[in-house]
Amino acid sequence: MKSNNRALTALALIAGVLLVIVAIIYWVKTANDLPSWLPGHEAGSARHHVKHGVAAFFVGAACLVYAWFQTGTKRPPAAAGQ
Amino acid sequence: MLISYGQAILLGLLQGVSELFPVSSLGHSVILPKLVGWDIHQNDPYFITFLVATHLATALVLLGFFWRDWVRIVTGLGRSLRDRGIAPDDTDAKLGWLLVIGTIPAGILGLLLEHSLRNVFASARSAAFFLMVNGALLYGAEILRRRGAHDESDDDERVARQLTFRSAFGVGAAQAIALIPGLSRSGATMGGGLLAGLSNKDAARFAFLLATPIIGAAAILKLPELFGPDGNGVRGPAFVGALCSAVTAYLAVRFLMRFFERQRLTGFAIYCALAGAAASIYFLF
Repeated sequence: MKSNNRALTALALIAGVLLVIVAIIYWVKTANDLPSWLPGHEAGSARHHVKHGVAAFFVGAACLVYAWFQTGTKRPPAAAGQ
Repeated sequence: MLISYGQAILLGLLQGVSELFPVSSLGHSVILPKLVGWDIHQNDPYFITFLVATHLATALVLLGFFWRDWVRIVTGLGRSLRDRGIAPDDTDAKLGWLLVIGTIPAGILGLLLEHSLRNVFASARSAAFFLMVNGALLYGAEILRRRGAHDESDDDERVARQLTFRSAFGVGAAQAIALIPGLSRSGATMGGGLLAGLSNKDAARFAFLLATPIIGAAAILKLPELFGPDGNGVRGPAFVGALCSAVTAYLAVRFLMRFFERQRLTGFAIYCALAGAAASIYFLF
């Protein structure tokens, strides 16, 4: 793996883990309890930003999948349908 | 009653057709009540709850219609995760990842911009104007289309071979314009597919596959509203509307997959331009 590829993969891995954590925070905390730097923070609000969490989760998952593909052993791929 | 059963039937029938035809379902659901003088507004919680049911029905119909494709796609995705890569000849896996990459920008832009865009462009006048714009966009896509090689291989394989990940991302992002009532999601994705070199038939196929998770997820996320207090007084009409929507969505997707074997978007472009112009003139006076 080239060094810039390795850096990008590491970045994707870190971003993926962080985004999944952010998603969990969105799901479990109310808008009032969210850290003020997170979009959706709203003082006095009891609602949960479920959709923000879903978006963060899927982008995080996409980053993790990218890292998963990049770190795989390069071997002859199996044929489709097998 | 907030929505009568008669209104639910008409809106459900309209939703099923206009969601899949490239003519903007949201635009029609804003323009029609205003044209016939119904006191229904698209941002009212009970109407959004009603739309959740009709959208869920449309998504289920799409899922059922392309069921075999989805089984292949999901299997391909699983295979690529297991192999930690997409095999060059694994078109099912590639199509799966094209759909994932196309869904991400649409989902994020939808979540971020949905409320603000709907509030700004909620009026029937604005929807009529953007319906005309939709006609221009569809016509523009037909004029600017790239001609890709069209062979007789399997439909999904052909789409997977011809689309790149970058173009799938662009087509997915184009779906976000459908947040403005009057602009069509399927029109944007079909137009994007044509610009990426797909045939009309393949562009429609990719548009419907791309629409399924987005429409389904949007409906599922709002499903609690249907069974919560916002659903009181709407659940019966919503169920009837969803059934009507399912019937017309099935007929629409079946019709369109045959229609686009030989026909183009031009007819829909003309319809949007004329209907938008007529509605604009009507709302002016």
